[in-house]
Amino acid sequence: MPTKEEVYEKIRTALVDALGVDEDEVTPDATLIGDLGAESIDFLDIVFRLEKAFDIKVPRAELFPEDILTSPQYVKDGKVTPEGVAKLRERMPFADLSKFEKNPVVKDFANQLTVRDMCRYVESKVALTG
Amino acid sequence: MRFTLVDRILELEPGSKLVAIKNLSMAEEYLGDHFPGFPVMPGVLMLEAMTQAGAWLVRASEDFAHSTVVLKEARNVKYANFVEPGQTLKVTVSVVDQGPRLTQLKAQGTVDGSIAVAARLILERSNLAESDPSRAIADDVVKMKMRELFALLYQPPAPASGAEMAATP
Amino acid sequence: MRWIWIDKFIEFDSGRRARAIKNISLAEEHLHDHFPGYPVMPNSLIAEGLAQTGGLLVGEVNQFQEKVILAKIPKAVFHFPALPGDQLIYTATIEQLDAAGGRVAATSHVGERLQAEMEIVFAHLRDADRTKRLFEPKNFVFTMKLLGVFDVGRSRDGTRIQEPPGLASIKAAPGHDCSR
Repeated sequence: MPTKEEVYEKIRTALVDALGVDEDEVTPDATLIGDLGAESIDFLDIVFRLEKAFDIKVPRAELFPEDILTSPQYVKDGKVTPEGVAKLRERMPFADLSKFEKNPVVKDFANQLTVRDMCRYVESKVALTG
Repeated sequence: MRFTLVDRILELEPGSKLVAIKNLSMAEEYLGDHFPGFPVMPGVLMLEAMTQAGAWLVRASEDFAHSTVVLKEARNVKYANFVEPGQTLKVTVSVVDQGPRLTQLKAQGTVDGSIAVAARLILERSNLAESDPSRAIADDVVKMKMRELFALLYQPPAPASGAEMAATP
Repeated sequence: MRWIWIDKFIEFDSGRRARAIKNISLAEEHLHDHFPGYPVMPNSLIAEGLAQTGGLLVGEVNQFQEKVILAKIPKAVFHFPALPGDQLIYTATIEQLDAAGGRVAATSHVGERLQAEMEIVFAHLRDADRTKRLFEPKNFVFTMKLLGVFDVGRSRDGTRIQEPPGLASIKAAPGHDCSR
């Protein structure tokens, strides 16, 4: 099983290759969209690279919960309801949603995902498959 | 097809930046195949438009010193929107780094202000005579043709002096 | 002119790998603009040939029911110019493919020499209406026949890929009619 260090390095390589950013731009707190400039088509590329690098399956909805964010059940007036936030927490236990919860504007959600969130996600996936 | 993917150069800052346009027209035959019933500019031609814009920037910045300017590398070419006949793709290229052989550029194409394509490009310039001196004549032919085409594509802005009438033929 | 930037498939292993030929000929009009006095195959059109090889390979996996378009080229490198009289061999290999799209690694060779290499990300087009208009499976099947896929194609289990019944009588969409 890879160490946390190895996971971080492989993720960094995947982001550098997919986004064309410099290695030193990829810090644990960097957000994929805001800081690293990822766009929706990049997510597909990133997911493919993660799957290949770690031999895991990454269902898109686990990293990019579009179904929750576009559901009238969980979104009211452009903000995610408390029920919706609970759903997000359930779907994405690896993500730190504390900042988002304070002002859960749907449009801001995409910008939440950090490199650290991604590392924790991969760690949890890799642990499951041993 | 005629392989000129830039129709007019709007702005030119030698060594730095170039802005150009490509009009897309139903008259362009390949659109019949791409796609049947739904004509859109092929992604690689959007790439070529950016490449040619970059090549003009390279050529104009060095006074056509090299005959051949080609795409050496393309990175992170991302397609965001289609370009349809009747629309205009506005291409902006800016120099990121310039070496003796290679020029690194940031490139972007927009339609009505929205991004349609973006990429980082590396262009390589050379003369045929470098590998075979007898081909210097071919270099001269290419350079001449490129200068001719450039003169069609780019009308430099009139001099700032208001006293004279702009000398546009 | 036709927007087909490959001439013939020499290998087509369904879901895995395909190889196609692109002959470069002075009879091709665009070479006379690129460049006048020094005709050289534009690298963007080599990229298209690679994308077409990969795109047909990816599309065939689901009989073109999942529509794929070129979404991103993470990297494309061109090592030397391809010239009239050269025959390029394009090889496309599916690295990954799922419901969202696919990733293909492709190379272009002149003989043994590696002329270009490219990574391609195809995405599935989600807009159902547009998808229907854009991608009639019969258009792709017709092109595959034209390019010899059914002459060389192999399925996953090694058996020959069968021409769909009635292919001979499929009327190609406008623009695909070779007799025009």
